[in-house]
Amino acid sequence: MTMGSITVTDVSKRFRLERNRPSSLKEAMLRFGRGNDKDDFWVLRDINLDVDPGSFFGLIGHNGSGKSTLLRLMANIHRPTKGTITTEGRLSALLELGSGFHPDLTGRENVYLNGAMLGLSRKHMHAAMDQIIDFSGIGDFIDEPVKIYSSGMYVRLGFAVAVNVDPEILLVDEVIAVGDEEFQRRCMNHMNMLRERGTTILLVSHNATLMRDMCDTVGWLDHGRLMELGDPAVVVESYLDHVASGGDNTLTTRD
Amino acid sequence: MTMLTLSPAVRKSTNLILNFAERESKARYKRSLLGWFWSFANPATTVAVYSFAFGTVFGAQAPATTNGNAENFGLFLFTGLIVWSLFTGVVNGCMGWLLSIAELRKKIYFPTETALLGGAVSNAIQTGLEAVVLLMIMAVLANIGWTAIFLLLALLLTMGFGLGLGFVFSVMNARYRDIQYLVGVLLNVGFFLVPIIYPLSRVPDEEYGLPVRALVEWTPPAVFVEIARDGVYFLQTPSAGKLLAGFGYAVVTFSIGWVYFRARSMEISEEP
Repeated sequence: MTMGSITVTDVSKRFRLERNRPSSLKEAMLRFGRGNDKDDFWVLRDINLDVDPGSFFGLIGHNGSGKSTLLRLMANIHRPTKGTITTEGRLSALLELGSGFHPDLTGRENVYLNGAMLGLSRKHMHAAMDQIIDFSGIGDFIDEPVKIYSSGMYVRLGFAVAVNVDPEILLVDEVIAVGDEEFQRRCMNHMNMLRERGTTILLVSHNATLMRDMCDTVGWLDHGRLMELGDPAVVVESYLDHVASGGDNTLTTRD
Repeated sequence: MTMLTLSPAVRKSTNLILNFAERESKARYKRSLLGWFWSFANPATTVAVYSFAFGTVFGAQAPATTNGNAENFGLFLFTGLIVWSLFTGVVNGCMGWLLSIAELRKKIYFPTETALLGGAVSNAIQTGLEAVVLLMIMAVLANIGWTAIFLLLALLLTMGFGLGLGFVFSVMNARYRDIQYLVGVLLNVGFFLVPIIYPLSRVPDEEYGLPVRALVEWTPPAVFVEIARDGVYFLQTPSAGKLLAGFGYAVVTFSIGWVYFRARSMEISEEP
């Protein structure tokens, strides 16, 4: 185990569907002690993959293929139903709009709170604050509650925090697509810089060109299964072929 | 200095707990002009109103203190109320604190218990201020002694017991909101079943064929209230039985709650 590695072993993730929850006490009593496995939804099945320290790993796949869930499992937000996930080193994740921000707190308070969640002291965050405000470009809004932020501002601040806490692993879900051209370019440049510093980066995207250009390895997920893993050009090609051939990309809650 | 000797995980959690505590304390009286004044207004009016209703109207007598000073129904009541409001504050608070971070926890990992412990720290500060007020009044009335440490002990035990229950209820409440209503009802009942507005000596030994006095006396919150009253009102050492029961209730409840919470808290992020 070295710093910056991610090891995913035989991971499956099941979600309980809302419609299968008992809606009354009577129903809950009747169901007590009886499993209802057939109604569960397996988002991921038997995933095995290793992300090497310092590599740039891409995850591609249709909406609902399980990419984001896999990222959340890596970020320790959910626990796998089966299998294990190990990550080594400080992990910073930018998973969705408003990632890890509390709406009522100001941008600045959120930066401190986020730092505390990542195990960084107030002093450390204080030192990084100017850099974060500068990178995000949100200026005086830093002292306003984040709930009044625009989606672009959310992402800018989120990304600024995520990359300025010296992560050993950085997980980025699609979100940067919300920023404007200029900001996206800045994000890419910054990720390249982190990569040169040896940070492991895992990026989820639909952007085939981006995946081919940036990644060392790409994994393709389809309906919760890892279809292919390896050279970006090859994997992206297979994915695009599958999409072109009218592969079944419908969103289903049942297998 | 002690911070240096703590493991990184504990230090990280301590950081977060203090962060949540600060947030809770700030949020409490945000957008209010009088701020912390309200934290005194509430217990003060409660004591005044209950003293009027029970002391003046019903003519309830405050039990005699050891040295004859501070024999006052309001002070007798205040002592019990500090313990009780800490208890209800923590139990109700836990459910609220967990819900307030549920959305956040879906987006970023952090040990969920830190939010509850942070809220508890904020409540402890509030209770601490009330206790200081009580001790100052007692000091002015010359009814104070070394036994005052039993007030501190009672509050610590109450905190442990309350957190234990809070851990369990908060997880259950995240799934079904029935729990918060149920807890509200139980706490209402509890307020009158625990000797807060009446001394234990007024409770009949036996009634309806039940040993009512013993049942009231050994209810966990009643034990904590009695320990606190022994310490700051009667200025005597609580009986060994009371202390033992108090420790037992607090340690066992806290441990069960903690284990249960740790086992279930990862599921919080999957609640819709």
